[in-house]
Amino acid sequence: MTADGLEIRQSSASVWGSATELRNLKVVSKLIDTTTCIGCKACEVACQEWNDLHIVPTTQTGTYQTMPSLDANYWNLIKFREVEESGFFAWLLRKDGCMHCADPGCLKACPAPGAIVQYQNGIVDVNPEACIGCKMCETGCPFDIPRYSAKTDKMAKCTLCVDRVQVGLEPACVKACPTGCLEFGDKAELVAVAKARVEQLKQNGFTQAALYDPPGVGGTTVITVLAHGDHPEWYGLPKDPQVPVAVSLWKNVARPLAALAIAGSFFAMVAHYLSFGPKTPKEGAEKPKGDKPA
Amino acid sequence: MRSIPVADQRSGSGMGDAAMARARSTEDVVVGDEIVRERLSARVVHWIVALTFFVCLFTGLPIWTPYLGFLAHLFGGLHVCRILHPWAGVAFAVASVFMFVQWVSQMKLTKADREFITPKGMLRYFQYRNEDADVGKYNGGQKLLFWAAALGTVGLLITGLVIWFPLEFPQWVREASYLLHDAAFSLFFAMIIGHIYLGTAAEPGTFRSMIRGTVTKSWARLHHPRWYREVTGEKAGG
Ligand code: HEM
Ligand code: SF4
Repeated sequence: MTADGLEIRQSSASVWGSATELRNLKVVSKLIDTTTCIGCKACEVACQEWNDLHIVPTTQTGTYQTMPSLDANYWNLIKFREVEESGFFAWLLRKDGCMHCADPGCLKACPAPGAIVQYQNGIVDVNPEACIGCKMCETGCPFDIPRYSAKTDKMAKCTLCVDRVQVGLEPACVKACPTGCLEFGDKAELVAVAKARVEQLKQNGFTQAALYDPPGVGGTTVITVLAHGDHPEWYGLPKDPQVPVAVSLWKNVARPLAALAIAGSFFAMVAHYLSFGPKTPKEGAEKPKGDKPA
Repeated sequence: MRSIPVADQRSGSGMGDAAMARARSTEDVVVGDEIVRERLSARVVHWIVALTFFVCLFTGLPIWTPYLGFLAHLFGGLHVCRILHPWAGVAFAVASVFMFVQWVSQMKLTKADREFITPKGMLRYFQYRNEDADVGKYNGGQKLLFWAAALGTVGLLITGLVIWFPLEFPQWVREASYLLHDAAFSLFFAMIIGHIYLGTAAEPGTFRSMIRGTVTKSWARLHHPRWYREVTGEKAGG
């Protein structure tokens, strides 16, 4: 169920949106500061509770991580990673979940009209009623976020608590975070906060600290401060995420070309019929005995 | 016993139609002024292939583009299409195997066929300048369609299975499959448009070979002269 009343910027498999651009709507953002995350998982619990998600059994993988990867019933997962490289050791925690891309590959790949929508405020939401369970979004997403549930035959992922945001509340995870590692607000303001934070980290010796707001997907609504900004892969983040080239090629190039081939075949047929007509025996040709014209 | 008048054999009226009766199990025989071209089993298989092909097409097109979303209503919505499409694809592939087996022995491309399917040969064919062509039961273009359909079906089946169960395959295989499935179906569709046109409007008298199973002698002599000679025993030019 999508949030009624929010203006839609783009909608999957749709040539329309409800964007009127009448209102001056701010683009929201969630800031994740990986350097102040203590791995308490209050956000995971808050997410489960607010969204009334089914309990998913935890899996012990030998780390502090709740389970190996996101689930259709688990949209927010603190990823725990140990990095050891030439004498250097780091313990990295990052909250994994939908990044709410400005250019969402999931939405682009989705063939069901309105199953994935992006509101004017930047939130990428899913509409299970329209979802046909084809899993194409899983191929479209560069962050490996959407999860298919065989039980419901639907895709599910973080909605950035759009139902809370819509009524002026912050997402449940942000509300629960005890360290201030998560912040919610206007994107422009939070980018400024994040940049100041990066500067602070640099002064404290993390010279490669950076803000992760990847331009390959038009920037993301969820922005992340990384102490080791030169190595996003240490946190399980792609270095330069893009909507997969094949997905863009498929929707933007292959589809029009295919339409052209099909239409061309129709037109060739009509043109041929108008120019040559049906093929019949030549006038005056001797007919086989006892045969009537075809 | 009542002898069947020649006129009745053609019209197919009543229960006694000698040509159709022969066409149940025989091919390439002359009955009156008709020639049996496709036996019943061949026609049934062809129509199962055609039916399943169009179910695939019309359930696939609304998933392919929202502009053709209205087609989903024929089946009860996009959710139904999504369930129906892969199963129709399996049925289409299975039916195509039968079609392949029944026709493959007659579809070997001869030297004349290879000339027929060159751009020059095809132009001659489409401009009706090929009366002298030494065309057997199937012309080069028909054989080409047969092989292209076989290849296309294999391609659609393999990529279709990947798209059906994408999570079992690596990312690049999925990406390639979405692209190739689209490319294959659109070329297939374009080809079938041509096929239907040639089998109906462009060459009157052809469609009945897939309905009654028979064609007229004059049709055979016009479109498949060598086959006509082989079946009737008439000499070239006679
Ligand atoms: C409504 C759709 C279709 C119509 C009206 C149609 C019509 C015909 C006709 C009249 C023939 C006999 C040609 C002859 O006797 O020389 C034929 C043959 C054949 N059809 Fe179709 N067909 C249709 C769909 C399909 C589809 C979907 C396929 C393949 C997937 C297909 C594959 C073939 C093949 C391989 C042959 C034998 C070779 C040839 O004659 O080209 N047909 N069809
Ligand atoms: S992170 Fe993945 S699921 Fe979230 S908006 Fe981007 S592409 Fe879609």
